[in-house]
Amino acid sequence: MNQFVLQQGQSRELQLFPHIIEFATRKNISIELNSLPGTSADFVRIYYIIDGKFEWCIHDQPYILYPGDMAMILPGQTFGNTKGILEIGKLSWLHIHIQKLENGKTQLGNWSNLSESETQMIGKILLMPKTVVLPRLGDAGRIFLSLQNELFNHEIGYCTRVNQLLDELFINVTRRLTKQSTSGRDFPKTFLQLEQKLRENLSHQWTVEEMAATVGMGTTLFNERVKSYSGFSPLNYLINIRISEAIKLLKKPDLNVTDIALDTGFYSSQHFSTTFKKLTGYTPSEFRKRNVSES
Amino acid sequence: MECIISIELGTNAVRVYAFDMKGNTIGFAKGSYPTFHPHPDYSEQDPEQIFITMLYVLKNFLSEKIHSKKYNVLSVCFSASMHSVLAIDKHGVPLGNAITWADNRGKKEAQALRGSPLAEAIYQATGTPIHPMSPLIKITWLKNQDKEKFQRTYKFLSIKSYIIQQLTGAYVIDYSLASATGLLDIHTRKWDPQALAYAGITEEQLPELVPIVHSPGKLQPQYRVSLGLSADTKILVGSSDGCFATLGAGVWGDGKATVTIEDSAAVRVVGTNVLQDKKGRFFNYILNDRYYISGGPSNNGGVVFEWFAKQFGDFKNAYDIESCMDELITEAATVEPGSEGLLFLPYLLGERAPIWNANARGVYFGMNINHEKKHFTRATVEGILYEMYSIEKMLQEYHTINHISVNGSFATIPFCTQLLADIFNKPVSISPNANSVSLGAYLLCATEIGVFQNLDEAARSIALPDTCKPNHYNHGVYAKYYSIFEKLSRKLSDEFEALASLQQSGTAIHHAINT
Repeated sequence: MNQFVLQQGQSRELQLFPHIIEFATRKNISIELNSLPGTSADFVRIYYIIDGKFEWCIHDQPYILYPGDMAMILPGQTFGNTKGILEIGKLSWLHIHIQKLENGKTQLGNWSNLSESETQMIGKILLMPKTVVLPRLGDAGRIFLSLQNELFNHEIGYCTRVNQLLDELFINVTRRLTKQSTSGRDFPKTFLQLEQKLRENLSHQWTVEEMAATVGMGTTLFNERVKSYSGFSPLNYLINIRISEAIKLLKKPDLNVTDIALDTGFYSSQHFSTTFKKLTGYTPSEFRKRNVSES
Repeated sequence: MECIISIELGTNAVRVYAFDMKGNTIGFAKGSYPTFHPHPDYSEQDPEQIFITMLYVLKNFLSEKIHSKKYNVLSVCFSASMHSVLAIDKHGVPLGNAITWADNRGKKEAQALRGSPLAEAIYQATGTPIHPMSPLIKITWLKNQDKEKFQRTYKFLSIKSYIIQQLTGAYVIDYSLASATGLLDIHTRKWDPQALAYAGITEEQLPELVPIVHSPGKLQPQYRVSLGLSADTKILVGSSDGCFATLGAGVWGDGKATVTIEDSAAVRVVGTNVLQDKKGRFFNYILNDRYYISGGPSNNGGVVFEWFAKQFGDFKNAYDIESCMDELITEAATVEPGSEGLLFLPYLLGERAPIWNANARGVYFGMNINHEKKHFTRATVEGILYEMYSIEKMLQEYHTINHISVNGSFATIPFCTQLLADIFNKPVSISPNANSVSLGAYLLCATEIGVFQNLDEAARSIALPDTCKPNHYNHGVYAKYYSIFEKLSRKLSDEFEALASLQQSGTAIHHAINT
């Protein structure tokens, strides 16, 4: 890749792509003071390392990046080098504006061809507190190179291709994020990771697609494996955890039943009461009367 | 039509079986629950999740397979993993999670007791080896390390006692499970005052001792309604998984032993006498008023082969460990017995019988430049089985064994069963029922109802199928490797300890970095 810098408002190449704020490849041969101070921005910043070693601080966490590694910095996160310098090496970056990145309300922008539900899933996964550096994401390098070719060569259909490549980048990054912690070999371990995620956020209205994506699996395989391993469908397993947690809370005298219902992910105290009674024969309040701990 | 339900509260899951009065399986269902490891050596389970999972699975199973076919449930019988401890307050509310059999937090407490003159007296009285698995050690750990919880504890239950209490209101423990706590005098069948004093508790802090056929009372009316069971359905406390697995394996009578290999493993014999071992290597659990189940447990059964498959197997489909293991076994079968000089000590999780060394670790020994993956695969299987053989040899000092019955998912893989026959040099039969634990529960219920005169007759009703005959030539090969295996297991003791202390300090550093 040769060096170049395209900037919105200045480079004609970006005229048709107002969401691309900056796209560049740079070979840095000398260290200059204050060339990479810590900053935050209201757009997404993606960096791909081609050559060299970069020590960066992203969202207050130190990272070391090597060739092939990619970093994605979300709006509002800080990014920079602790000494404020851009180290020697070669890298590409892409700054892209995202209309809205919020749990359940994500919108990439009109340019994206991703479906509504796919966009929401990508939004959720990006917002999960996970490492933002993806080591050895060779795909990102390939996409950056194709982007550059499309933007400079203007072949037939380039306008569509550029936006497709951006979608592809987001798909690859989220797929990789969900697979980072699982090996595809140890299902019990993967299942325990999922269990922890569910417990950490029990009040969330989980869908099977989200659960599957959390552990980097497709829905069909996920359903099948969960059923054969646990004996339950994913949603029934979740109800199981919800009621177990609710029982623990019911045994503490100082919490009210509606709060318990909502905290453990039931839509309402009515929904909680019905589900609870169907399984145990008791309403939550009857159950509580029989088993209350000392406070 | 009448039926009997068995509920097995296992290590990872609850399994529900229904049997007709002839012992045929009507149906089966399971539901898993997680084990949490908040610190190294800790192994805990959530008692409420176990209870709810059991209720959920049982309710669905009854409505789909039993009520819909108009079966009348005569009795419901429980069994559970041994050695669990759950502290509850005076309202019956759990004080945190239950501690499972696999929890090793009491390593220091076990070492301290083993070094004291009390150790032998307690082992001789209780029949449970002095080890972190034992509730005696776990309660002692709570006394020393978690004083606040220890003070607040109204009773120390087993997981099964808690589940039964939730359903019926009674605090009970059967003699089988109680005899695995290290707190029961298995000769007088009363709580052992020395052990209780050592743990710092009183009899009142333990559930009531009852026989395995005891009925703790009726189901609470609400559970009767939600499960659709009548007040006539009898609840039986039942036994431990280990005792039931032996009963259900049909190894009654002299000269027989059962080898169970699931994740963990054990070799067990049935007898009317306690095996008094000076070195404290066996467990002796009470089955009923007449019989004891004695033997030795291993931590390193099928779980070790699974570990191997996860690391080195070829996963053609994500998470498809079954076909991955099939393929490894097929490969291993092409290698000569003895794996061309490659030997494996399977102590990935430390080991219980016969070496009782929590610091033991896995070893591949004798690698040369010609060894391929398939040799490692076969050596891994052989190592797991040598370990079982070492337990059987130790039992042979007290109990003649000339026939083996195997059960458990790993031991019943045909390749493994044949290898076991060759290594042990004894005929081996595979238990006819895949689940011996639940079959044991059926035999108990059927005896209680009067189908059999007594447990002897019930156990003898299990016909063992054709046996797998040992290949004496192969045995000769294995015997030579085994003698090296045995020597290595003992010789490395100092190095295991040195390595364990290095790993311990390693973990400490790792934790310091992360906090």
